Amino acid sequence: MEENLREKLLKAFEGKLTKTIAMYLETCSRCGICTTSCHVFNSMPRPEYSPAARAEVVRRLYKKYFKLQGKFWPSLGEAKPLDDTALDDLDRAAYSCTGCRRCMTFCPFGIDTQQIMSIAKLILVAAHAEPEILSMLADVSISKGESIDLIKQGFIDGLERLEGEVVEKWKIDAEKIPIPTEVQEADILYVALAGAHSIIPSAAIFNAACENWTLSFFEAVNFGAFVGDPGKTRLIMDRIINEANRLNVKEVCICECGTAFRVLKQMSGKQSFKISSITEVHARYIREKRIKLEKNRFKGIITYHDPCQIARNAGIMDEPRYIIKHLTDNFTDLSKKPEENWCCGGGGGLVAMGQDSHDFRMKSSKVKADQVKATHASILVTACENCHSQLSDLNKYYKMGVEVKFLSSMVADSLI
Amino acid sequence: MDTLNYIILVPMVYFSFAVFVAGVLYRIAAILKKPSITIPLNVYPQKKPAWLHALADTFLMPAVFKAKPVMWFFLIVFHASIFLLIIGHIELIHSFSIFQIIEHDIFLGRGFVGLTLFISLLYFLFRRFSSNARNLSVPEDYFLLILLLLTIILGSELDWARTWFGYQEMTVDGYQTYLKSMLLFKPDISDVTYSGHTFMLVFHVFFANLFILFFPFSKMMHAIFTIPLNKIRRG
Repeated sequence: MEENLREKLLKAFEGKLTKTIAMYLETCSRCGICTTSCHVFNSMPRPEYSPAARAEVVRRLYKKYFKLQGKFWPSLGEAKPLDDTALDDLDRAAYSCTGCRRCMTFCPFGIDTQQIMSIAKLILVAAHAEPEILSMLADVSISKGESIDLIKQGFIDGLERLEGEVVEKWKIDAEKIPIPTEVQEADILYVALAGAHSIIPSAAIFNAACENWTLSFFEAVNFGAFVGDPGKTRLIMDRIINEANRLNVKEVCICECGTAFRVLKQMSGKQSFKISSITEVHARYIREKRIKLEKNRFKGIITYHDPCQIARNAGIMDEPRYIIKHLTDNFTDLSKKPEENWCCGGGGGLVAMGQDSHDFRMKSSKVKADQVKATHASILVTACENCHSQLSDLNKYYKMGVEVKFLSSMVADSLI
Repeated sequence: MDTLNYIILVPMVYFSFAVFVAGVLYRIAAILKKPSITIPLNVYPQKKPAWLHALADTFLMPAVFKAKPVMWFFLIVFHASIFLLIIGHIELIHSFSIFQIIEHDIFLGRGFVGLTLFISLLYFLFRRFSSNARNLSVPEDYFLLILLLLTIILGSELDWARTWFGYQEMTVDGYQTYLKSMLLFKPDISDVTYSGHTFMLVFHVFFANLFILFFPFSKMMHAIFTIPLNKIRRG
């Protein structure tokens, strides 16, 4: 590796060294308590899949370049130079971690491996060694934000083709627009994903609740966060913030996408609008009796997979269970505590990497498949696109014998 | 030999303590100088008051209890013993009535605290050889454990000799004279260097010196950072 590239990468590393991350890097005692908390290690017990081992890949570079111990006595802490081998190690560590933060709940020090992996991802981005597909997807999102006027009409035409299906789920007055856009002063700006499945059920529910809502022109997913590029994450997030401010909406509601919700909720800073997940909004509609659901329309045992970024990492745990209580009498939880639920194995950009990550995703999530099978459920419901895709893949791979459904689509199908 | 004893018992102690204090303060200052992270890093569900739960996480380690109860037992025994030994060493400088709530000779536990610490350290050392921990371990982990083990074996031996075998040559008064003189920067090692037992004390102090010298530059800084990190996790 050339010296000026190394300097550039170390500068990127140094830029991530906040108080908290520096403490994470200083504190680990390598006790290994975290090891068995990781779904990857539990499914494929290899030393490199311990969260502490992943963090150690970054920590060894930290010791080498940012600690006295690494400068004077590198062998003591196995400090390692930043070279091409280190980049390979960083790639293996970062993209075998889904950023679920389950290990953090078991660590006696509360070390956040996802944050340490964000350093690994940033170094890879700076070295142009990140998974190309993730950067391309992030760039597409950004360019869409820059040229929104060019694609607006095409988007609106596409929505018109979906209107029939929305009305089929919930009839509204003929003069009303089933999927409104560009509504100034709307109470809710709904940010969906690029796909009818993310728009139709939610539109029907908004209409059933007589909501004053408007659909965003942008998709919620933040590929910048997946690839670990803070600049791109910000640009993708800003498209939504700018749209919300332009329309002067009261609330931004993020569709079933864990990363999109957590990024906007926790990284956007103080805004004039409230930020909610679609699950929170649906629970609110039921509580306020703005929508009514037909109970037990879906037969068999129903279980719910808590998406890590929505539940453990953003606190939405009671709302989905409240909704499900209105959908069925036959619910069983996957784990005793939602915060200890196993990750689906598709986070951190792995699902977006498609077939490239398929083999690893399947093998590293055996523990998840076993957890689902143990419930004997016939419907596995979740509230995150990423989790849905991964769980559907697992369903086929491990013959789990469940139907994987979105919570919002079950709500829409049960509207009365 | 007298010169070597003097170097270890006086200048090396001052040097080690100076490096320890300056090093720890420097490490804390270096962290405080760094920018703050702007995003919340807590996990849910949040329990209030967060600071109380963070203290419980730090001192009771409920997550470890759940995941590895045997390790939790030794961790609690180890840290509680360290706490008692710190009190014991403070009493070697001066007796404080507050520590005599439970009436005792200097060093609570009649030597058993050192023994439990020794057994805990053996557990920590041997578990490093089991496959999962061995793969994670770096030389620093063994180095620190061996340093502590040597310090504790020699320190315990000094205490056992005094309390178990009626060995009266090096008394609490002798240690108090030495430690007080060190504190007043008028070092006097005469009361602790005339005995045939002196070499034990010298080795005990030597390994303890090495340990505190290395403290600020090692993972031992977890002693400082665990409370703030647990608070961050609790929100």
